[in-house]
Amino acid sequence: MKARDKTRIWLAVVYAGLGLIALGVAAVTHQFPDLIIWLPFALVVVFLEWRSFEINDHLIGSPSVMAILAAIVAFGPDSAALGVAVIGLISPFRPVDFKQRRIIVPLVNLGQLVTTAVAAALVVKPFLAHGQVWTISAFPLAVTGAALGSLVYVAVNLGLVNLAVRVLYQQNTIRPWSRMGSMVPSSVMLGFMGGLVGATYHVEPNVLPLVFGLLLVGYIGVASYSQLREAHEGTLRGFIKALEAKDLYTRGHTERVAYFAQLIGEELRYRGTALERLRWAALIHDVGKLAVPGELIRKRGRLNEQEYNEVQRHAHVVEDILAEVEFLRPMVEIASGHHSRYDGTGYGGSGHTEGEVPSQEACILAVADSFDAMTSTRSYRMALTQEYAFEELRHHCGTQFDPVVVEALISALTRTGERYGSPSMDSEVLARMIAEDKVGIEAHGPHEPHLPHDQHQSELSSDG
Amino acid sequence: MAELSGREQLQPVLWAIGMVAVFFLSVGVTDYGVGVIVLWAGIVAVLGLFEVPARSGNRLSFAFAAAVAVPVVVGDSRGSDLAAVFCIYSLGYLAGWMLARLGGKDGHELNSAAIRNSLGAALYAFIFDGLTAWFSFSATGPLLAFSLAALGWFVFEMGLWALSEYGSDRLSLRYLAILAFGDWPASFSLFIVGALAGFSWGALRWWTLLVALPPFAFAYVAFQRTAQAQATYDQTIRALARIPEVAHLSPDGHSDRTAGLAIAIAQEMGMTPQEVEQVEYAARMHDIGRITLNEPNILKAGFTDGDIAQWGSEIIAEAEYLREVAQLVRLQHQPYRRPGEREDPELPMASKIIRAASAFDHAVHERRFSALEALEELHRGIAYDYDPRVVEAVRRVVDLGLVPTAAA
Repeated sequence: MKARDKTRIWLAVVYAGLGLIALGVAAVTHQFPDLIIWLPFALVVVFLEWRSFEINDHLIGSPSVMAILAAIVAFGPDSAALGVAVIGLISPFRPVDFKQRRIIVPLVNLGQLVTTAVAAALVVKPFLAHGQVWTISAFPLAVTGAALGSLVYVAVNLGLVNLAVRVLYQQNTIRPWSRMGSMVPSSVMLGFMGGLVGATYHVEPNVLPLVFGLLLVGYIGVASYSQLREAHEGTLRGFIKALEAKDLYTRGHTERVAYFAQLIGEELRYRGTALERLRWAALIHDVGKLAVPGELIRKRGRLNEQEYNEVQRHAHVVEDILAEVEFLRPMVEIASGHHSRYDGTGYGGSGHTEGEVPSQEACILAVADSFDAMTSTRSYRMALTQEYAFEELRHHCGTQFDPVVVEALISALTRTGERYGSPSMDSEVLARMIAEDKVGIEAHGPHEPHLPHDQHQSELSSDG
Repeated sequence: MAELSGREQLQPVLWAIGMVAVFFLSVGVTDYGVGVIVLWAGIVAVLGLFEVPARSGNRLSFAFAAAVAVPVVVGDSRGSDLAAVFCIYSLGYLAGWMLARLGGKDGHELNSAAIRNSLGAALYAFIFDGLTAWFSFSATGPLLAFSLAALGWFVFEMGLWALSEYGSDRLSLRYLAILAFGDWPASFSLFIVGALAGFSWGALRWWTLLVALPPFAFAYVAFQRTAQAQATYDQTIRALARIPEVAHLSPDGHSDRTAGLAIAIAQEMGMTPQEVEQVEYAARMHDIGRITLNEPNILKAGFTDGDIAQWGSEIIAEAEYLREVAQLVRLQHQPYRRPGEREDPELPMASKIIRAASAFDHAVHERRFSALEALEELHRGIAYDYDPRVVEAVRRVVDLGLVPTAAA
């Protein structure tokens, strides 16, 4: 047995044990709620746990937080902890895990859920009135308690999940407390709403089916939104894959640019839809290459005048296409590879006016695009080193690139410790020599062999 | 907005007179004060200005929620004060209609929605009142009465909407009905939030707003996001489908026109909205395989329509969500029947539609045929190339004038 498997089993045992202890404590000190009220809440939580989906890039709060807190308030102070502990005990066992014979993850989830639920229940407990029927005056206290409880729920949940991820996958991906800030408002809101639902049960139980119905309809809406998002992203990625099959050298370029754009976006605190749009724009930015004859894209060496014009035409082609997609409009000029610059000079196509500063999204795409162009090998030169690329980006800060965006990329890559471009000094020197006379130009046009102007012109004259 | 015919102009006037009559007839009977009636009528009228995005294009306004709450609030556990309810409805819908007109909205949709909604609300109130009296023995009685009455209103509203659209656009009634009923989450969220407010008002008072509004806001935002995402997705598909055109590998506008015609044919043939959507995507992208012609050696080696279809479907199949569309594109060049063979039952109708629509557009815009000549051309091919049922549908679409004829 490998050491890693051993750690995994240990983790499962420890988490499950922790969960069982929490369950035991709850069982000794609390009584089980009425089955008639326990069952609907249990069904809702199980449903939510089994059919989870991603709402946005950062899942800022799971709807099960709300369901758990609604259950805690509805069960009342005497039975809340045990009621939700049993819900936490049954909900991690999804049919899909049974089918794939997975046991570690459900066990870890079990421990994590039961512990979290009991902790939240104990926090909310003092805020709840006794008895089944409440007057309206018990509302404010119960709702406040639920909001607090959701904070505890999120904190314990994040801590336990992060620990498990670190042990299971040997990587620190979540950075829990940095995410806590963004989760506080939404979790307080969800807890508050859950508290309202639970408290409503004590005052006017008949309307509970209506609340559930409304939430179900909302859930269906969110699910179809989420499905559409995935369809959109999948369609873009699929088409990009077909596109890049044409060119060996730029294979993976789009995915990498999308990744760099995402890194910069996260660094600059883009969230949710904005981040998603940035990534989509990066995915689509090279689509015009489909309209350029394949032999030109692959061509080694220099382009003659006719070929150069052909490649230029592609820029306009892309603009025409992309201008039809609404969310891309602010980014069209950069997506079409025009020399639009941070200081507003340079020529652009439709949507670009002289002296106008491009949107920050466009600047992010420009930096991501140029960085990948420099750090990957092209048909006409080798990849440059990461240090050289950083230097080059900094060198053109304020004129060609937005300094804020450049620093965001550099600090993000420095923190993750990822490296791109040529690794060795030898190839760096070589690359430097090749690139020396292309300073700045390289960073302009990532798509094709954009040759330096002087070189290009001399090529033309020698042709004629 | 389309010019309204004489009958369509007369309808709202008659309706308004009817509303005024109902108001004065019932205001004399009710015990409720003018204050309550005007307050609720105002709520109905103002909420009528806000809409939930609906895929079908139906006007689903927040007035539904207010109208649902009215019979619950105006009355007691044994039933509603129907006279007061009708006062509120007639005044509220009339004022809402006038407010919307003042706000610049006008035309067929607004008028028919006002007529439909007020009639539907009256039906709902009748059923609710009757059933509440019936179910009064149980604590959940009013809830049950509401559910059944709301269901009645929903069916009435959606059925009538489909019928009125059928009159103006002459699409298939089945298509319209499925489209209308497909909006059920939006209408249900409105019905439920209204009922929630109505039923919990007595016990919770102002807390009602806090209980009812956040879940509704959640649902509303989800619908709005979905509508936006759908628009973005359609735009992206459209942009990608135009790549061969802007690269001059396919006639300009061919993708858009073929899609428009294919949608009309599919609707005419009574397909469901989901099927029509597949037809639309497949028709838009039916020529996307042409981008492969960018490779000069392929151009030199020669290619067939089958190759284009195959390359296109390979590109589309890279997108998981569009697998079925890829299949339709792959089969689009197949004749519906081959000499000496039986018709292939596996060949999807959507592929046959795309084949005919593309050929029709080609005849009209490349070969400069008139619509009738193009139709004749399709008729000539019904032995093997084009399915006679599809050609028949094209004829009906042409007859209705839904096809742009040859460019002048």
